[in-house]
Order: sequence, then C-alpha cells, then structure tokens
Amino acid sequence: MARGGSLLAYALTRMALALPMLLILLTAVFIVLRVLPGDPILALWGDRNPPPDAIEAARQQLGLDQPIPVQYLTYLRNIFTGNFGVSIGVQYRGQPVWNQIAVRFPATVELAIGGMIVASLVGIPLGVLGGANRDKPIDLAVRLYGTIVWVIPIFWLGAVLQLTFGVWLQWLPPNGRWTGADVPCATAGSCSFRTGMYTVDSLIEGNLGHLANAVRHLLLPSITLGLVLSGFFTKTVRANMLRTISADFTEAARARGVPTRAIVYRHAFKNALVPVVTVLGLQFAILFAGAVLTEKTFSIEGIGILLLNSVTTKDMTMIQGVVVFYATIIVVISLVIDILGAMIDPRIRL
Amino acid sequence: MAVVVLVIALIAVSAYALIPRTTNKYSIELWYNNDGHYGDVETQLALTVQNSIKDCGHISVSLKSDPWIVFKQDRQWQNQRAPFFLLGWFPDYLDTDDYIAPFLATSGANSTGSFYSNAQVDTWIREAASSADPTVRADRYSKIQNQLAEDVPYIPLFTFGAQVVYVTGVQNVELHPVSFKWFVVNKPGSTTLNVSTSDKIITLDPASAYDYFSGEIINQVFDTLLVYDWKTSDLKPGLATEVPTVANQGVSADGKSYTFHLRPGLTFSDGTPLNSTVVKNSIDRAIRLDLAGGPAFLLYDTGALTNDSKGGTNTAPGVIETPNATTIIFHLFRPVSFFNSLMAFTVSAPVPGWYSQTGEQPSTVGSVVGSGPYKLATHVPDTLIVLDRAFGTSAANTYYNKNLYTADGVGPIPYMDRVVINIKSTGTSVKQDIQTKAVDVAYRTLSPPDLVDLQGKATSLGLTVKLGSQPVIRYLVFNLNKVPDKRIRQAIAYSVDRAAINQIVFLGTAAPLYSMVPADLPYSVPVFQTRYGDANCASANALLGQAGYYLGFHGELMAIAREH
Repeated sequence: MARGGSLLAYALTRMALALPMLLILLTAVFIVLRVLPGDPILALWGDRNPPPDAIEAARQQLGLDQPIPVQYLTYLRNIFTGNFGVSIGVQYRGQPVWNQIAVRFPATVELAIGGMIVASLVGIPLGVLGGANRDKPIDLAVRLYGTIVWVIPIFWLGAVLQLTFGVWLQWLPPNGRWTGADVPCATAGSCSFRTGMYTVDSLIEGNLGHLANAVRHLLLPSITLGLVLSGFFTKTVRANMLRTISADFTEAARARGVPTRAIVYRHAFKNALVPVVTVLGLQFAILFAGAVLTEKTFSIEGIGILLLNSVTTKDMTMIQGVVVFYATIIVVISLVIDILGAMIDPRIRL
Repeated sequence: MAVVVLVIALIAVSAYALIPRTTNKYSIELWYNNDGHYGDVETQLALTVQNSIKDCGHISVSLKSDPWIVFKQDRQWQNQRAPFFLLGWFPDYLDTDDYIAPFLATSGANSTGSFYSNAQVDTWIREAASSADPTVRADRYSKIQNQLAEDVPYIPLFTFGAQVVYVTGVQNVELHPVSFKWFVVNKPGSTTLNVSTSDKIITLDPASAYDYFSGEIINQVFDTLLVYDWKTSDLKPGLATEVPTVANQGVSADGKSYTFHLRPGLTFSDGTPLNSTVVKNSIDRAIRLDLAGGPAFLLYDTGALTNDSKGGTNTAPGVIETPNATTIIFHLFRPVSFFNSLMAFTVSAPVPGWYSQTGEQPSTVGSVVGSGPYKLATHVPDTLIVLDRAFGTSAANTYYNKNLYTADGVGPIPYMDRVVINIKSTGTSVKQDIQTKAVDVAYRTLSPPDLVDLQGKATSLGLTVKLGSQPVIRYLVFNLNKVPDKRIRQAIAYSVDRAAINQIVFLGTAAPLYSMVPADLPYSVPVFQTRYGDANCASANALLGQAGYYLGFHGELMAIAREH
C-alpha cells in the first residue's frame, strides 16, 4: 500500500512538472516566432501586391494588429480551450490548424510504425549478434553496417530504393500512400469510424485488396526509414549486450555451467533490452514529429511536411499548433516511460 | 640636351600609357529567394545572372538571399534592403494591363519595390486601361514599353515553358495559357483519367482562391459569366449568353457599364437555381469578406466596383443591377477595358446562397458546389482530388455548356466521367508516376533535367511530351532609390545573357523575354531585344565608363576576350 501511494505521488509530481514545462515551451515558441524576421501577411499574396488597405484588413482578420501581450494571452486562452486557430501561412491559409494536424498525423503514425518495425526486425538481431560475438568478423561486419546505414542520407537511400523497386522493377509503387480514387473509409457511412491510417481503415472496411494497396505503398518508405534507424538500434543493442554479457550475473550463470546460448539470449539479451526499450520509446515519439525527409522523398503528406512548410512560411498559428501537439505527445510518452521506470526500479522514486 | 629631354619625355609618356590604371568597378548586391518560392533552380539562376553581368568586367555582383517571407518584406518600402533582385509574375487576368500597371504605375512600382514613378507613364497606363480601342491601346502600350527600355526599372529575363507529359493516345491535352482544362481531355476507351501533379490546393472557395492550382480546380467545378477558349485566351460565353462588347451594346460607350445576360434555367450541380441575384450576391460576398490573401481587390480595386478601392462591405446600391432573373449590369466607377477578363477570373464565379456569408467556405466534399462540368467527389488535402461528372448525360440533366467547343471538334464536355488527381510532394514523384504509367497525365511541375530525361525516353516509354509557353514572367528589379543612375541600369541590361540562362539553368526549356509583356500577348514590343540585345559587353562598358567606372589593363583585356 505504501509502495502504491509512493508511485502515485511520483506520477502526480511528474504530471505537475509537465504543465509548467509545456507553458515554457509555448511561451518560447510564441516569442521566437515574433522575433524572427519576415512578414507572413505580406507573403500571403505571393508575388501580387494588393492595396495597403487589403493588407491591413488581413492583419485585423487574423488578429495580428493586436499588441503582442494581447496576442499572447489570446493564444494561451485558445490553446488551453482546445482552439488551435486557423492557419495564417500561404500554404494552408484559412484552414483550421487542428484539421490539418488530424489529416496528416495518421500518415506519420503509419510511417513511424512501419519504420520502427523494420528497424527493430533488422537492428535488434544484428545488435545481439554483434554483442554476442565481440571482435569477431561478424561483429566487425555488424559495426560497419551500423555505422554505414546510420550515416546514409535518407533521401539518397529512398531514391535508390524508389528507382530500383519502383521504377525499374516496378514491384512496388515508388511514392504516395494510395493508388486510385477509392481511399479507404472515405465514402460517408462506409466505416463505423475512420483512423486516417489506410492500413487500419482497410481492415475496418474488411477489404483485403485495400489493405494490400496500403501496405504496398508503405513498404518502401518504411524500409528506407527503418534501415537508417536500424543503424542506431544495432549500435544501442550491441553496446548494451556487451555490458550485460560482462555483468556479474552472467559471469555467475557461466560459472554454474549455463550454456552460452542460454546466457546470451535468456539473460544478457533480456537485461540489455531494458534501457534499449526506453531509448526506442523516445525514438518512436520523435518519429511522431514526422520523418520529414522520408515523407518528402515518398510524397507522404505527414506532419513533418506540415511543420516544414509552416516554418518556411512563418505560419505562426500552424507552428504553434504543431509544436503544442508534438510537445504533448513527448510529455505524455516521457511521463509513461518515467512511471514505468519507477515501477520497474523503485530506487528512481527515492 | 634637347634630345635627352625629348627621350626622357617619350619614355615618361610611354610608361604612363603602359602602367595599368586602377580598377574602379561598380558594386551591387543581387538578391534572390532561397526557399523554393520560384522552384528549385533559383540559386542557379541567380549565379548565372551574376556571372553574365560580372563577366563584362566593370560590375562586381554579390549574391544575397532570403526565404520568401523575409524576401518580400525586404523589398517593401519600409525596408528597401535589396537594391537589385529577382522576381516573378503570374497574371491575374490575361490582359496586357496586368503586365504593365503592377510594375510601371507609380502605386504598383512602390509595391513591387522599384519605386519607379513617371507621370507620363501613369497617364498612358490610365488611358490604355480605360480604352477599348485597339489603336489607342497599341499606341499607349508601345510608348510605355519604350519608356521602360529607356528607364530600365526592370529587366525582363524569360518566360517559363509549360510542359505536360501524357501517355500517348490521350487526346485534347492542351497547355492553356490561363488554366488547364481537364474537362476537354479524352482517354478513349476509359471513363477515368488519372493525373499526377506537385501543385497544392489552398482553398476551393472562389472568394479566397488566389493561386494557380486552386484556380485550376475551381475552373473545373465552377463556371463564370465568361470562360476561355479551350486553346487560347479568347473569351467565350459561359453562364452569359454572349461576350459584352460596345458593338452588341453589352458595354456602354463610356466603357463604364457592362451588361450580361444569363442563360435561362441555370442550376448549380446540387440543383440550386443560378440567376442574376446569385451572381450579384456572390460578387458582393467576395468583396464583403475580402479574405486575407484572397483576390477580392481585383473586383473592388482593379475592377472599379467601389469608389474608394476598399473591400469589407457590399457594393454600393446601384453598382450591380439585376433588373430581371437573367440580366446583370455592372456600373463601374471608371472605365476598365479588361472587365470581361475579370468576369472570367475565379473570384467572379457564382456560388450558391447557402455558402458561408461570414468566412471562407470549407474545401470539403459537399461544401464545394459549382455550376461547372465537374463536382468534387473526394478531397484528401495535399494528397488526392477526385472530380466526378457534375451533371448527367441525359437531355433532362446535362451540363448546360457541353457544346461550347464543338465548332472546334471538341466535345461534348466533359469527356471523362472521373478525373483522379494525385498530388505529390515533389516533381520527382510526378516523374516516377508518369514513367511507370501509374497515371495518364503528368502536369506541373517537372524539373528541367527530369523533363529532358523524359523527352529522351518518350518514344520507348510510349509517352508524349508537349511543350508550350505559359504567362509566367521572370525579371530583375532595380530599386531606383538605391540605383538612381540610369546608365548603370542600362549597362546591366546590356550585360544580361538570356541564352546562357536558358541553356545553363533551364536546359533550353525557357523562352527569352524582351518586354514585361510576353511575346504572345497583344501589344508586346520586344524593346529590350532591339535596344540592348544580350551579353553586349562593349556597350555596357562604354556606358559604365561614362559613369566613371573603368577597368585596369588586364580587366579590359578579359572583357574584350569575352566579347569575342
């Protein structure tokens, strides 16, 4: 009972700390966007130059004629009441910020999950293999692989895979998320609910042809992102394997005559995974902010491209909305990781 | 003694003549956009312009760049940081005035950042804009363009080539100068046309749309009083029965009143009736909302539908008259000779009365309803647009203007039941789509290398590459407050090498431009070609010499070498 109460107190403390962290972040973003040079209102008309009255009318419409402190208070009030506002940038002009995030986030999540699956399937076994065979040729090969794929420019790898499997062999679609007009669950009433993730929506529809369409489009970007990430995974897992293989408990197991295979996979690997899972969890959260290069290369309109376009056009409301959304995800995931860590290791709560 | 003195004097004179003079070059900063507002080759373009000027020897050009939001602010009168910069222009309405007034009228030049002001030119612009007489307009525009060449506040560089790549067999693919017309494209044996583009839609509300691709989709879904020919920029009757002219009494003698007669029985694709009141309310809505970034000012300012050039309210009573359900009369506050063109622009498209009257209409299926040949069937932002035939094919339910182009052997329109437009993030993806024949047509925008590559493979891939011109112009701007000496501007006009730009940057896919008015528009005079030509270093350096800028001995030799 005492232990459970302590965990709850810890969780509440962490949550209480998250709120000011979010507020500081919001304030920093607000100030930075207003300090940066450039006038998003002038840019709204592209090369055209409307009469000065029209420009001033636009500032009033978008609330940018107000004093900065008033804008700040309005911004905070809106954010905490769930109103993300409308875009003021030339790319998404007049569109509700939340709608744009909601439309694009599923594509990013789908890509992040695909990339993580590939990275885990490739990176973790290679890391184990390298760690279990320290300084042997196979370990050298794994280390070399980890270094090379981690530094490969993702757009280059993507282009190579596109050209090879998409254009020359034509085994897979080279870009995009879908082929055809019948996007899953797009027709009103065709699904009980819609996630925006085409793989999931195809399953909701119960349409295997649609699922194949979605998966085929997801393969090349997932492999591209996953291979690059697998370099990081390989190195992390290998390093932790080396640490656990030389730890006291594996030495003790070895002294008791436990077979090497069992030591590696049953004891060392399991223990090596604990810190790895934490790192991978955070990596996953970072991917939610969008793997912008992969998205751009494969024409996937995810949240990474949304943020990139918003930054280049100084779309203040959109940037603020995306940052708040992303920060909330990071805070929540960090909180979950902290609490899980505290549950696993009570010393953290001390 | 005299001989010795003479020899010494001769040696001194010879030495003076042979000693290289100190170089005195003119220095200028050339600014350009660096975040892709004009595409991916802007840095190459700036470098090529820089080289073509500095290769003449007398001018030192340093490059500076900014992202668009800063770049545009920098050239505004508040900042005026850039003395010399690269800009581009896509017309709002396809009339010569739209290539002259925004640049050479005092108010336009202030916004553009050249700060050019010439009272005589202002008068000519007003006269040309208010006259429907081609002789008057030709005279004024000729004078204006000659003055442009004399004063050089701008140097026209080139027009972009338009390109479309399609699977051989697809018919009626025309690079229209204003807006691509998907409803005339035919793929025999199929009901669906698949398309790939890297353009993005910002909004499908005609009151708000002010970018190329939004306008293009609006042109498939909404009709206007007047519409364009399927190949040219000639106006044809759309919702109206005829194009108003003075001859048919649709335009008053003073050029201030325009009368349109609507076809009877018009409806939107949802069945809502479309009459003169709907047209009036739609134009009032656009002006009243005056949405940020929108084109409403083309109606109330350029189109003279208000007397104070301000939006925010409906037009004054009597400005737009609707004497009956099929007649609408516009009384302008000054003559506007291109008012018909404004009535063919998307901002003038009628929308149903149930459209939002307080803000922008959402661009979602069911919220976008027009009177054009197609309707919006699916819209996944920045990913997919599906257009379906808006009206049936039976006599009772058919598109009212289906025989618009039958005189040219085209139609009835629309040909295809469905057009699926796949929106991609990059031109590379567009190229892949057409290369693998995942789509039937790839339109906008392929990079010059991708285009040249596809041209080379077209036959083996079974593709057709069609090239044309588009009304986008690129040009250099001088801030006259910072470069007041006309001789410097003229010298740079002599130095610019358009052939090098076309070959190096655009691999031969662009066309040189010698006036701010593109060559295929009425009244265009290639004044920069006749007066300056290209890479004319001798003339450039002569002018700069007069202005006090000269080269050392080696610099002169290099300039002469380049010249030859």
